[in-house]
Amino acid sequence: MSTRTDVIIIGGGATGCGIARDLALRGVPHYLVERGDFASGATGACHGLLHSGARYAVRDKEAARECITENAILKTIAKKCVEVTGGLFVRLPGDSKRYRDEFLKSCEATGIETVILSPSKALELVPSLNPAIEEAVRVPDCSIDPFRLCLLNATTSRRLGGNILTHHEVVEIIREKGRCVGIRARERLTGEIKEIRGRIVVNASGAWGDRVARMAGSRVPMALSKGSLVITNHRLTNVVINRLRPPSDGDIIVPNEAVCLAGTTSIPVDSPDNLEIDPSEVDTVTTQAEQMVPAFGTTRLIRAYTGVRPLLKASGTEADGRSISRGFQIIDHKNGMISILGGKLTTYRLMAEKTVDVVMDVLGFKVPCRTAELPLEGQDELSGYPLSKRLSKLDDIVCECELVSRSDVQRAVNAMATPYVGDIQHRTRLGMGPCQGGFCTYRALGIMQEMGRVDPDVSLSILKEFLQRRFKGIRPALWGDQLREEQLIESIYMGILAMGQGHG
Amino acid sequence: MGEHGYDVVIIGGGVAGLTASIYLAGKGFRTALVSRGDPACCLSTGCIDVLGAHEDPMKGIDRLPRNHPYRIAGRRTVIDALEAFLGLMEERGLPYRGSLGRNTGILTPIGTTKTTCLVPITMEASSGFTTTHIHVVSFKGLRDFYPSYITSRLANTSVSVFDAGTSSTLGLATKFDEPSFVDDFCAWLSGLELPPGKIAVPAVLGLKDPKAVLQRIRASTGREIFEIPTLPPSVPGIRLFRALKDAFLARGGHLYWGNAVASVETRSGQVEAITMAGPCRPSRAHARAFILATGSFVGGGLFAQRGSVRETVFDLDVKVPGPRRDWFLNDFFSPGHPVEASGIEVDSSFRPLGCGLKNLFACGSILAHGEIMRHRCGHGLAIATGSAAARACERLLS
Amino acid sequence: MSFEHCMRCTVCVENCPVAKVEPRFPGPKQAGPDAQRFRLDGEKSVDAWVNYCSHCMRCQVACPYGVEVADIILKARLKYSKEHFSPLSSHLFANAYHLSKMGSLAAPVMNRITPLPVFKQAMGLLGVSDVPDLPEFRFLSLERTRRSKGRGRRVVFFHGCHLNFNRPDIGRKAIDLLVAFGCRVAIPRQQCCGLPALGNGDLEMARKFALKNASMLTRYVNRGFDVVYSCPSCGLTLTREYPGILDVPGARKVAENTYHIFEYLLPLVQDRLDAKGLRSIGRVEASIAYHVPCHLRALGIGYPSVGLFEMIDGLSFTVLDNDCCGLSGTYGFKKRNRETAAKLGAIAAGAVRETGCELVVSDCGACRIQLGHYAAMPAMDPIEIVADAVSSGPLANKRRTLAERVASLFPSIKGGTP
Repeated sequence: MSTRTDVIIIGGGATGCGIARDLALRGVPHYLVERGDFASGATGACHGLLHSGARYAVRDKEAARECITENAILKTIAKKCVEVTGGLFVRLPGDSKRYRDEFLKSCEATGIETVILSPSKALELVPSLNPAIEEAVRVPDCSIDPFRLCLLNATTSRRLGGNILTHHEVVEIIREKGRCVGIRARERLTGEIKEIRGRIVVNASGAWGDRVARMAGSRVPMALSKGSLVITNHRLTNVVINRLRPPSDGDIIVPNEAVCLAGTTSIPVDSPDNLEIDPSEVDTVTTQAEQMVPAFGTTRLIRAYTGVRPLLKASGTEADGRSISRGFQIIDHKNGMISILGGKLTTYRLMAEKTVDVVMDVLGFKVPCRTAELPLEGQDELSGYPLSKRLSKLDDIVCECELVSRSDVQRAVNAMATPYVGDIQHRTRLGMGPCQGGFCTYRALGIMQEMGRVDPDVSLSILKEFLQRRFKGIRPALWGDQLREEQLIESIYMGILAMGQGHG
Repeated sequence: MGEHGYDVVIIGGGVAGLTASIYLAGKGFRTALVSRGDPACCLSTGCIDVLGAHEDPMKGIDRLPRNHPYRIAGRRTVIDALEAFLGLMEERGLPYRGSLGRNTGILTPIGTTKTTCLVPITMEASSGFTTTHIHVVSFKGLRDFYPSYITSRLANTSVSVFDAGTSSTLGLATKFDEPSFVDDFCAWLSGLELPPGKIAVPAVLGLKDPKAVLQRIRASTGREIFEIPTLPPSVPGIRLFRALKDAFLARGGHLYWGNAVASVETRSGQVEAITMAGPCRPSRAHARAFILATGSFVGGGLFAQRGSVRETVFDLDVKVPGPRRDWFLNDFFSPGHPVEASGIEVDSSFRPLGCGLKNLFACGSILAHGEIMRHRCGHGLAIATGSAAARACERLLS
Repeated sequence: MSFEHCMRCTVCVENCPVAKVEPRFPGPKQAGPDAQRFRLDGEKSVDAWVNYCSHCMRCQVACPYGVEVADIILKARLKYSKEHFSPLSSHLFANAYHLSKMGSLAAPVMNRITPLPVFKQAMGLLGVSDVPDLPEFRFLSLERTRRSKGRGRRVVFFHGCHLNFNRPDIGRKAIDLLVAFGCRVAIPRQQCCGLPALGNGDLEMARKFALKNASMLTRYVNRGFDVVYSCPSCGLTLTREYPGILDVPGARKVAENTYHIFEYLLPLVQDRLDAKGLRSIGRVEASIAYHVPCHLRALGIGYPSVGLFEMIDGLSFTVLDNDCCGLSGTYGFKKRNRETAAKLGAIAAGAVRETGCELVVSDCGACRIQLGHYAAMPAMDPIEIVADAVSSGPLANKRRTLAERVASLFPSIKGGTP
C-alpha cells in the first residue's frame, strides 16, 4: 500500500517541523517522517538558547544578523515557547579586553543591541554571578523550549492536512530512474512498513544528513561534533549567562523552565548514534560554568545529555566544531532530494523558509512565505511564564517536580499516536525534574493503562526501557545528592517493585 | 550549651540504630538516640528482607563472602536478633510472620513477586497469591496505585474502586484508623459479588492498629485480605518505624530527633562526647560508648563527593570501589552497582577498623560489603548487625 | 538553598498532620522544596494554598537531609501575606498579645463573656472558630506580680503569653521550682515572643516584638544571666526564629544561653539528689499520657520533661510523639481551619485515651487546651507534676511564702485548671 503526496520531509527536529508548517501555510501537501519523537536529535539536545547573535558577531556576521532577526520574530510568534530572559556576556579577570572591544563593535555592526553593566549592576541583576567579574554586557538572548516549538509547528501542519509520522524510521528511499520518488518507513512499535510516494524528498535529518543522502545515492559533507551539557536541580540564574571570550567549552548557562542548562563540550564523533557521556565532560562543563556562576561548583546536577551538531564540513579543514560556520546550506541534489544542513535552532524558521522556497521552485508553485507573521497555533492552552504563576492551582499532581497533573497527562496521551513515556515527557515535562521520573513514570504508565492507551502486557517493558534510558543520562553526573536520590529510586524499583528479580 | 550524660549514645534512628537502642535501653543502660531525621525504613515496604537472593536465607548466609556483615555477626546472632525482633513486634501489636528458613513471595503494585522473609501481619495473606482469585481494591484518585499493572499480569483477578473521599496514602490510612470508616468499607465490600478468593488493597489499612482493622474486615466479609506495599509514602514503613521508636521510648530511652552531629571529641582511643548541632543551639552528649548507625547514602551516613566517599560523623575510612566512573554499571537493572559495597569495615566486635576508637561501634547499612540490593538483605542486615553491635557494646559497658 | 537537598523521599509528607486531613494542602514536599523551584523568579505569589500550613514543623524535624521544609513554606506564607489582603482573623491573632493584655485587664468580665453563644457568633464573623473554648484570662497576670525571686544562679524567665495571661499559676510554680533549685529568677517586662504574628503573616509586627525582647534579654545575658522558657513555641521563636528568619541582631548569643526549664533544671536537680544521696524528688501517684508538643520536637533538645518524670516515684508515663494536637498556636482557632484542627485534635486525643491514663500532660498551653477538650480529661503542664512531686518530697521547702498562703485562700484569683 502506498500513499501519495507532494513533499516528504525526513526529520522531526525544528527544521523539519518548520518546513512542514511552512509548506502547510503555502498549501503544499506533505508528509513528515521522524524516527523518534519530535526534537529527538540536536534540537532537543541543545541549550534551548534563542541567540541574540552576539555569540557569533565577531566571527560570523552573517549568522549573527540572521539570529537577531529571527530572535525578534520568534519573540512575537512563539510567546509560549520563548521566555524573554535577556542575556549577559560576562568578562572575568584575564579575559581579553581586546576581544571585548571587538565584540561590542561587531554587535553594533550587526544590529545587536548591547548595554554595558558595571559588576555591581550585573550582580544586582544576577546575584549568583561571580563577584570577581570585571564587567558584563547585556544582550537580547532568550530561553526557548525546543520541544514546544516543534510541536506547535507540527500543529499547523496537521490542521492544514499535513501528515506527521513520529516513531517511523526511513529504511529506504525509493528511486526510479535515478530520481527519488518516495520512501519506505518502519513503524517502531509494530515494525509495519509504510510506503509514501512524493515529488520531492527533503532531507532535514540534521546529524543524520549524510546517512539519509546516501540512501538517495548522494553524499553531504558533514563534520559531526558532540556537545554535552548538564542540568542543574533548579535555576541559578534567571538570565542567560555567556562568557565574553571566543567560544569555548562550558561557556553558556541558560535558564530553562525550572532548571539551568550549562554547556557544552565539543568532541568530534563519527556517528550520531549511541553517544556516551564521559564523566570528565561533566567535570569540564561544571568547572567552566563555575567560573561565571560559582554555585555551579556545589550545586546539584540532575543529569547530563549530549547531542551532535549537524555542521557542514568546511572544505579542506579539520577544524574544531565551534569554528565551523553556523550558517546553513541548502543542497539540491538534482535527483528529487533537497538537503538542508547546518544552521541552528534560532534560525530554524529562516532555514525552513529558504528550503521551502527551493522546493516551491522545483515544484513550480509561487506562494509567498507567511511563517514570520502568523503566531504559532495552539499556544493558548500552554502554561507560560513567569514560572511562579504555575503554582496557583495544584490539582491531582502526578509529577511533583514539574507540576504535571493527571489531566495534563491524559491530554497529552490523547493527542499522541503511540504510547511512549518519552513522548509524554516531551509534551508535559513529566519526569524532567530532579527525580528524573523516578516517581512519576510509574504513575504515567498507570494512567495510560487506565485510559486503555497502552497494552498492560508491554507496560513493564516500556517502564524498563525508559528507566534504562534515563539512567544513561544520570550516570555521568552521579555523586552527592543526586547519587543519594538515585539509590533511593533504585531501592523503589528493585526493592518495592521487585523489578530486578527477573520479572518484566 | 546543653549537656547530657549517658551510658551509650546511638547515632542514627533507622532500623539498625533502633534495634541497638532498644536492646541496650532494655538492659537498663541510660541510652540516647540521636537522629537527624526519620529513617529510610519509613519509605520501605516494612518487610524484613533477610537474604532474598537465596531460597533459605539462613543457609545462604554461609555462602556469602567472608567480609559480609552477616558473616561477621555469625548465623547464630542473626537468628537470635530476628527472633528477638519477632517477639518485640508481637509486644508492640504489629506482629510479623514468616520463617527464617524459607523466603516467601508477596505481590507488588506492578504485579511482580517480591521475595522477602518476614512480613507484617497485614501482608501475611499475600503469600501464595497466584493460587487463588485476587480481588484488588483501589481507591478513587490514589495516584500511587494502578491495579491494571496487576490484573494484566495475573489471570485470576478482578478490580473495584472505593471512593473514600480522600486520595492520598496517608489520608486513607488516617481514615482506616476510624472504626466507622472501616465499617463503611466492609459494608461496601460485602455488597460486591465476588468469586471465592482473597482481597488485596494498597497498604493503607491504618497507622495505629492495622491488626484490628484486618480482623474487622475479615470478620465482616469472611475473606482473607492483604496489603500490597506502595511507593513512598509507605504506611507499613511508618508503622515499623513507629513500633520500634515507641518500643525504645517505652524502655526509657531518650530521643534527640532533628539533630545532626556537628563534632566529636575523642581522647586516648575513646570517643568522649558528641556535639549535636541542634536546630536552635548546639548541645553536648557524653557517654561511655557510641554506636554509629547513620546508614548508607540514602540514610546520610555516607556522602559521595565528586571523587570520593565521606563518612559524615567521625570521618572514618570508607572502603570505596574505585574511581567515580566505576561506581555504577551501565545497566540500571544490574543486581547491585559496585558503589553499594562502599562503607565502613569493622572488626569482629563491630568496631570500625583503622580509627583506633575502642568504644565506637558501627552497624546497619553503613557497613562495607553489605551490598543490600544485590543480596536483598536490607532490614535483616540492620536488625542483625544492630543487635550484634549492641551486644558488643554491652560487653564493653558491663 | 536547603531545598536542593530534597530527595523527594516523602518523609515530610508522612509527618504532615494537615495533609492527612486537608486535601487542599498539597503537603510539605510539594509546598516546600518542590514549589520552591518555581518561586525563584521573584514574581508576585499566587500560591494561596501555603496558608493551610500550620507550621507545626514536623516536616522539618523529620527531614533527614536538612531541608528546611517548614521555613521554606513559612517564607512563602510571609511573602503571600505581604502581597495580598489577609483575613481579619489573621490580624486578630497576630495581635494576640495586645488582645490578651486587654483580656487580662478585664478578666472577670471577659471570662463571663467568652463562653456566651453571642460572643462566639461575633467572633465567628471575624473568622474565629467556636471550638475549643478560648482560654480564660487571669487578672493577676505574671507581669503584674514581682520582678525577681530567690538567690543563686542568675536566670531570666521568659514566661510567654499563655502563662502570663491565662495560667499565671503555672508560671509561679515554674519560678518557684527554679528558686527551689538555687536560682535567682528575674521576671522582667516582656512582649509576646512574636510567633503568633509570624504565623499569621505579619513579619513586621513579629520583628517589633523580637527586637524588644532580644534587646532586653541581651542585657541580661551580658550580665551573666541564662534565659529559661517553659513554652516550647516561645523557646523555638527565641532560639531559632530570632537569629534566623527575623534576623535580630545579637539574637544568636541569646539563643546560645537559652534553655527549656527542664533542660536547665535537670542537672541542678540531679546534683541536689546526688548531694543528698537520693534517687527521687518525690512521689506523685498518677499515670500520665505525656503528649510531646510539635515545637518541643522542633527545638531538638530531646524531651527534657521526661528526665524529670523519671525522678518521680509512683508516676507512670507514656510518651506520645506521633501526633500533632492540631491547634498549632492560633491555627486551629481560625474558622477556616476548624475542620482540620478538629480532626487532628480527635486523632491526638484518641492516642491519649488509648493509653488508659487518667491525665494528659503537655508542655504547650495550646496542646493542653486542645487535648483537654478532645480527650475530655484534665490536661496539665509538666511543671505542675514536678512541682507537686517536689512539694511533697524530701527536697521540699516546708515553709510556705506569704503569697502562697494568700493565694491558697483565693484560688479564683490565682487561677488554675477549672
